[in-house]
Amino acid sequence: MDQFAQGNISRRSFVKRGAVLGLSTTFIGAFLAACGSDSKKSSGSTAASTGGTTAPGATTAPGATTAPADTTAATAPAAGAIKQGGTMRLASQKPGSPLDPVAMDNLGTYTVVTQSFEYLCGKGDNATLAPALAESWSPNADGSEWTFVLRQGVKWHDGSAFTSADVVATMDRLAGSNLKAYLVEGATTAADDFTVTMKLNTPDGQFPYQVSLYNPQTLITPVSFVLGTTLDKVPTGTGPFKLDKYDVATGATFVANVDWWGGKPFLDKVEFIFSDDIATQISGLQGDAADALVQFSVVGGDALLADPNVIVEGTRGAAHRQIWMNTREGNFADVRVRQAVALGIDRQALIDTVLRGKGDIGNDHPIAPVYEFFDAAQPQRERDIEKAKALLKEAGKEGLSITMHVPKLQEIPQLAELIQTQLKDIGMNIELNVESTDTFYDEWCKTYDPICDGGQEFGIVDYGNRGVPDVYLVKAYATGEWNSAHYVSKPFNAAVSEYQASLDLAGRKTAISKVQKIANEDVPYVIPYFYNTLYAHSKKVGGIVASGLGHFEMGKAGFLA
Amino acid sequence: MQRLASAIVTLWLLATIVFLIVNVLPGDVGRKILGPFAPKEDVAAFNHRLGTDRTVIAQYLTSIRRVFTLDFGDSYQSGQKVTDIILPALFRSGKLALLAFVLTIPISIAAGIFAARRKDKFADRVVVNVGLASSSIPEFVTAAVLLSVFCVNWKLGEVFANPPAGTSVIGQFRYLLTPAMAMVIAYFGYIARMTRAGVIGGLQSDYARTATMKGLSKGTVMRSHILRNALAPTITVISVQVGYLFGGIIGVEKVFNYAGLGSTMLTAVGAKDIPVLQGAVLLVGIIYMMSTLLADLLIAYLNPRVRLEKTR
Repeated sequence: MDQFAQGNISRRSFVKRGAVLGLSTTFIGAFLAACGSDSKKSSGSTAASTGGTTAPGATTAPGATTAPADTTAATAPAAGAIKQGGTMRLASQKPGSPLDPVAMDNLGTYTVVTQSFEYLCGKGDNATLAPALAESWSPNADGSEWTFVLRQGVKWHDGSAFTSADVVATMDRLAGSNLKAYLVEGATTAADDFTVTMKLNTPDGQFPYQVSLYNPQTLITPVSFVLGTTLDKVPTGTGPFKLDKYDVATGATFVANVDWWGGKPFLDKVEFIFSDDIATQISGLQGDAADALVQFSVVGGDALLADPNVIVEGTRGAAHRQIWMNTREGNFADVRVRQAVALGIDRQALIDTVLRGKGDIGNDHPIAPVYEFFDAAQPQRERDIEKAKALLKEAGKEGLSITMHVPKLQEIPQLAELIQTQLKDIGMNIELNVESTDTFYDEWCKTYDPICDGGQEFGIVDYGNRGVPDVYLVKAYATGEWNSAHYVSKPFNAAVSEYQASLDLAGRKTAISKVQKIANEDVPYVIPYFYNTLYAHSKKVGGIVASGLGHFEMGKAGFLA
Repeated sequence: MQRLASAIVTLWLLATIVFLIVNVLPGDVGRKILGPFAPKEDVAAFNHRLGTDRTVIAQYLTSIRRVFTLDFGDSYQSGQKVTDIILPALFRSGKLALLAFVLTIPISIAAGIFAARRKDKFADRVVVNVGLASSSIPEFVTAAVLLSVFCVNWKLGEVFANPPAGTSVIGQFRYLLTPAMAMVIAYFGYIARMTRAGVIGGLQSDYARTATMKGLSKGTVMRSHILRNALAPTITVISVQVGYLFGGIIGVEKVFNYAGLGSTMLTAVGAKDIPVLQGAVLLVGIIYMMSTLLADLLIAYLNPRVRLEKTR
């Protein structure tokens, strides 16, 4: 799960385990909420992202689908406000897979492993990429080759030097798995100890996103790394913390890497306390048994949102809920019915109610405002009940009764109930079929593969955060693999291709503007909002950088002076 | 010998029930671990690697073999050996259960005797009603209240019960005290009432009257005559609770984020981690059987009639 459990704990795990525990979790959450007092929240910085990749298959790993968000947020203490020393305790979901930097597949594992291992490209402000192990990168004229200049003076935790040989070896290993759509073995070559060139299978103007934290399994491992090796068996890395102790049942302890290229970390130690129960994690933060909580969602997180002693940070991103309507046959085959649904929804009310305001408004396309090529000039679709009624009447669907299928995942059931209420105003009668995530995902996807819609024409599905929107555009809209709406549009596909072929921001902006317009008009999916990924910490700490993708960068974190 | 055969049958039944239950749970193991959007080829390869794509019969035979060779294989989720997961979890649960027992048994037996000697008086009513109320509240509710009040709000106890590595025995006591108290509250009433009933029966018995008339002191009559008989049902109750304490305190372990056997099982159910679940359930089953055996021996020791009956 989504994590949060669900979106992310892997949100699914969270939801499932919460369900298993049942009353207990509910009770705790309610009880703690009752014990809390006033509300207070804080800001979070934002980041957006750009980009587009060519091959959908090579984007994010499976686990990342469960929760992730998309932008970096950092607690922002004043310069010099952090003092040296101390152990910061992080309440985090339990790693759901071995600490294998290549095969890891869930947020709990990402959080732990990325304390030691690092990417070529890190996360910058406003969703741009920032230098990490690579100091700079540039494409050739057509984007078919990318050259990365590596940082000098970086050491592995055993004291040996990081060089281009490590990058070449890493890329060759990934060429057979995660990056196989982009690279073949031998396509990465070293010009010298600190310059590598990657020759891509097909040109890609945004390839660096594939070797950044947006593609979590592309951590740089040493040339001697053997596939299947886990961090706890062979502790190494170039990152700010070295693994000291690890017990998947209880937690992990990292000690500062004083030779880190980013400078000696403020903290002496980082201690992870694992728990798959978000209510327990919240209790830990409120009870001073933890200094920060890596990720949580609004649902189940009320106690934190209402706690004046805790700072809640939101990471904006592109994670969203998709209300699908079958465009090929049935009640929604007529675009006027789909537009009526879109017009019947009060998006801001949904955000305020189910997200407690922690989200960006959606406009029925998957391009989130955090993406730098987002076209903000496009008119926002507003609620218009009369127009919606008129469209339904024109389509001969007045008083339409229909079943909406939704998973019992985070706020989705509440979202469905609100939509049910709102659409009553345009004369639609919606019956809700809320199912467990197991039934919703496993059975539907298994039975109806490759279209994961369970053969239903109307429902809600969740999409995690991505650094670039290609997965949404290609898998959900274009190729049909997750195209629950059975949407087919040549102009849309052409606009997506144009976007993916663009080597510069201006080209991407032009193409994405078309994508937004077509998706908004055709409305195969209503996308009411993009939700923030939340994390929290005590008022004593600062400097944490959260990606919303499970990464919790602690290199510059510490206790406030 | 008869007991051993019966134990083997019980283990087989347990293993079979666990297997059936796990296979009734919805969801595909590979899909569950890799996530809803993992490519189906990856899921298929993952299932093949785990052997969860084999026939149910083949999987069942493997699981039964594992039970009788005590080799449960590796966890689907973490890849660790199952024994490396469940034995430390058992040890942790054991510590918590031991503390809970050390606190519960003397308190509740003393309270039961105290109440019995004041039968129908105010003090007796207090013990009976408090006991009834405390045992009526599920442990996880008590645990949540204690956590919120004592640990979160008043910061008198530890929110997370897992002590950091290297914590001293005394230090561990601090971490485990609040969850143990949740269990004490839950079991106090039951054990106290059982003791009270037994002692009342003993106090009214002919043998107690005879002993008193012989001139024995009240204390001697209580220790040597009444308690030996009165505690038999209490010991039976306690022995059943031992097994329960190891596997049934899921709620308390979950609330305090304690990595014991109960929460290990809960996590395994959620992840459909069959090897871990099977190993943990069987471990609990073995503990149940052993605690019942121990109870039988204790009762036989305390009650000559039982001993003699067995001898005959």
